[in-house]
Order: sequence, then structure tokens, then C-alpha cells
Amino acid sequence: MTANATFEQRRRRVGLLFVLPALLVLAVVLGYPIVDSVALALQQVSLRSGVVQQSWVGLDNFRRLFADTTFQRAALNTAYFSSAEVVLVTVISLSIAILLNHPIGRFGIFRILLIVPWAIAPVANAVLWKWILHSNYGVLNGVLKALGVIDVYHVWLGTPASALNFLLLVDVWKSVPFVALLMLAGLQRVPNSLYRAAYMDGAGPWQSFLHVTLPTIRSVIAIAVVLQTIWSLRVFDIVFVLTRGGPADATVLLNFLAYRVTFNFLDLGYGSAIANVVFVLTVILAIVYVRLLWPRERRAG
Amino acid sequence: MSFVKRRHGGPFMRGFVIAGLIVFVLWSAGPVIWLVLSSLMEQQALIAQPPQVVPSSFTLDNFIQVLSAAAALGHGIFNSALVALFSTAVALAFGAPAAYALARLPVPRANNIAFLILATQMLPGIAIAIPLFIAMSKLGLIDSVLSLGFVYLSFNLPIVIWILRGFFMAIPVGIERAAAVDGAGVSATFWHIVLPISIPPMAAAAVFAFVEAWNEFFFALILTRQNAQTVPLVIAQFAGQYQTVFGQMMAAAVISVVPVIALAIVFRNQVVRGFADGMTKG
Repeated sequence: MTANATFEQRRRRVGLLFVLPALLVLAVVLGYPIVDSVALALQQVSLRSGVVQQSWVGLDNFRRLFADTTFQRAALNTAYFSSAEVVLVTVISLSIAILLNHPIGRFGIFRILLIVPWAIAPVANAVLWKWILHSNYGVLNGVLKALGVIDVYHVWLGTPASALNFLLLVDVWKSVPFVALLMLAGLQRVPNSLYRAAYMDGAGPWQSFLHVTLPTIRSVIAIAVVLQTIWSLRVFDIVFVLTRGGPADATVLLNFLAYRVTFNFLDLGYGSAIANVVFVLTVILAIVYVRLLWPRERRAG
Repeated sequence: MSFVKRRHGGPFMRGFVIAGLIVFVLWSAGPVIWLVLSSLMEQQALIAQPPQVVPSSFTLDNFIQVLSAAAALGHGIFNSALVALFSTAVALAFGAPAAYALARLPVPRANNIAFLILATQMLPGIAIAIPLFIAMSKLGLIDSVLSLGFVYLSFNLPIVIWILRGFFMAIPVGIERAAAVDGAGVSATFWHIVLPISIPPMAAAAVFAFVEAWNEFFFALILTRQNAQTVPLVIAQFAGQYQTVFGQMMAAAVISVVPVIALAIVFRNQVVRGFADGMTKG
């Protein structure tokens, strides 16, 4: 079988050649920085007139995290923002997916309505909502007052709790469509014969949802939850455009704090330490994702 | 009640679904419609009290003024187009062979490599941005369209590889066997047999990559200054500087989103299928 072996060897060589360029790019642009980000977190790094100065400080940056009340504030904000976002996005997306999977909801126009918010740039989305939420001329105030819901115009982004919740609303609006599309794709893979069998067994719509729909799309839901959590840790554009972290640091999320410390306060080492926290959180979530995606028997092979 | 009828539900169920769909349409389309309407309204109408939700007259003034006043916008559109096209085209050129090798060729540890590539997609931007910024500052690569293009290439590669790998794995092996029997080598098989039937998933991957690159803000903010500024930066800056010229702000936003929305609508079915399959099937 020597001919066969050389054939296999040739295929392997070509395979490596095919994979190499992509791996090189990823190693240079992503691999090197992620390793360096850990090293940077152990240094004092400053930027003076465009020149980077570095010196090793051990775990000092990480020790600073524990005493930093802004960091704690940001961690709490992020915990609230991410968990609320995941719950809202999952529930709303699943409801929309179910609606659009119903025979009445199967018109193409509904799917177009989902794809549009996905394609809108997060920055353009933030600018749009800045206008909608404007305290003097915003349409939200106008509509709510016309409907008699509020008496006076509100400064929606002016108070801490309200500002954070409106950022949440804006990001949920932007995130829902894609997750809904993922779930809709999952729903469409549920074989019709299962519903027929449930019907034969006398199951009502609610029962067939509980016992047929949910179990079959459970993995899609789980994957959406993990991905959405990872995405929510990256939220940046809307904070930058809408509030810049204010009022009183109420909308500072970990990601934004790392940016602010690094590029506004030019404390690059400490910024890296905060970024590392986000990184570790993401790695944990990514491991969960891989476990969900790859059932045990296939991982073995 | 028949099975089909049961799937449609009774009158109560239908009413519920229709009400839900109306809420859904208002929720999804409302802000977008308001974006377009505001961009077509005059400043007086926008700051009228009480607000005019249904405007009395339309104008294209906002668009004309934005395009003539903000030279940065034209420059930004040019940069964004360049960066998005470059990162999409190279991602396809590098990603398609890689995806094929990982799906079909005896690459050692192919599954692990594939997962490593997928995992890079989940890295938080900020953890990469700081070291990248330092390294690129030292090398003088800040504020260059080409360096930004390379950074976006690394974001687009995993998307492309993951979407195409799923597709390649589903191609019947017989097609390639037949080509091999006819004497075609691996590269020839890939080039002449596999690629021609992979146009739809490649289109999906391309649209996805283009939209992501066109919309990206965070790395553009950190890695560019004036010269390589992209559209999202111009929009954000515009919203900061001219925050009282609402109509122009919205016109600028509309200009920036029209190309990608058009792409997304045209290719919506491929994009959704490609991404849903790629992300939910190992």
C-alpha cells in the first residue's frame, strides 16, 4: 500500500499548506496580543509623548483591582447588565421565533424586519437612540406625554438607574434579531412528524410546546444564552456614544472601564489587568459553549 | 379538529399571534422608520412642540448638507469600503482553503484547530486591543488602512472558516472520489469541483464578513486617527459635535447603514442559514 500512503501524505501536505496562511494571520494578529496582554498586566506601562515605557511590577495591578471602587462598581454594573440582557434577549427572541414560525408569521417581510436591526452599525444604532431619548426633542418623551403616560419630559439618560436600563434596552433591541433568527432556524429543524405524533397522543398546543418544541431546541437556546453572555461582555459602542460611562459612573461596564483606564488615563498596565478579568470570564463562558456544542461522544473522537 | 387546524390554533390563538406580530413589527420597525423619517425632516419640524410624529413635508436638505459639509464622511465611506473589501476578500482567499482542509483533508488535530479558530472569535476586543495598540505604535502602523484591514481580516477569518467548514463537511465524498479517480490532485479538486458548488455559502460568509468590518467601531477608534478613519468613527464624532442638528445626524446615520442593510436584505436567507448552521452544529 505504498502508493496509498504517499497519496495520503500528499493530501496531508496540501492540507497543511491550505491551513497555514489563515493560522499565521490569526497567530500574529490575535495570538501574540492575547499572550502579551497577560504580560502587560504585570507591568507598569505608560505612554509619554508617544513613547511607551514599561517596567515590571508583579501582581500590583491585580492588587489594585481589589481596592478600586470604580472597578467594583463596573463589575456590579456588568453583572447586572449581562444577566438582565441575557434573560431579556433569550425570552424576547424565543417569543419572536415562535411567532414567526407560526403559519401566520411566515411572510418574508417579517424576516426582513429581523435582519435590518442586525445590519445597522452599533454606532448608528446608538446615535439613533440618542435622538429618540433626547430630553427636549426626543420622540419617546413626545409620544409618552401625548399618551398621558408622563406629565413632564424626562432626562432618560440623566439618572444612574434609568441610564443603565436604557442602555440595556438599546442593546437588547440590537441583539434580539440575530438570536431570534438562530432560534427560528432551530425551530424549523423540529420535524413535523413529532408534532403529529404529539397530536395523535392528544397533546394540546401548550403541551406540544413544552414536550416537543422545547426539548428539541434546548441546545440552540443554551448556545444562544452562552453566546449572548459573551457578546454582552463586549458592549462598548453604545456606552461610548450615549453616556461615556456617566452619570456618576452608573453606566461604566468592565469593557468600557478597561478602555477608559488605558486610553484616557493612559495607565496601560492597569487597563490590561482589567481586560484580563474580562478575558478570564470569556474563557470560562467559551468552555461552557464548547461543551454544549460538542456532545461527549464526539469530543472523544 | 384536524392536525393542520390544530397547528394553526383556534380563533383565540390566532388573535394572540396577530397581536404579538403587531407588537413585534412596531418594536423592530419603529426606531428604523423614525431614523429615516427624521433624516427627511426639516430642523423646525424636528424641534416642534409638541413633536410631529407624522411630518407635514419632506426634504433632502439634510443629506445634501451632510455630504457637502462633512468631507470626513466621504473619506470615511471610502476607508470603510476599502477595509471591508480587503478583509472580506482575503478572508475568503485564506479561509476557503483552510476550511476545506479542516473539513476534508487529513490535517492532524483538525477538530482542535477548528475549535481554536472558533475560540478566537470570542476573545474580548479590549484584551487584544491594548497589546496590539502598543505593538503597532512601536512599528508605526497606527492610522493605516492596511493595518486596520489586517486586524479585521483576523476577525473575518474565523467567520468564513466556520461557515464554509460546515458546508464542506456536508458535500458527498463521492464527488471528490470521482475527481481523484479521474486523476485530479487535491488542489485541482478543490479549485474545479468544490469551489464552484460553494458559491452560496461563500456569498453568505462574504456578506457576513463585510457587514462586520463595515460596522466595526472599537478597533477603528483605537487604531486610527484622521487618515484611516472609518464611517462609524465619523458618525460618532458627528453625533458629538453637531448634537443639535438632529436631521443631519440622522442623515449621516442613514448614509452609513444603507449599503449593509441592502446587502443583508438581498442575502438574508444565505446569511441566516450559513450562520445558524455554523454556530450550532459542531
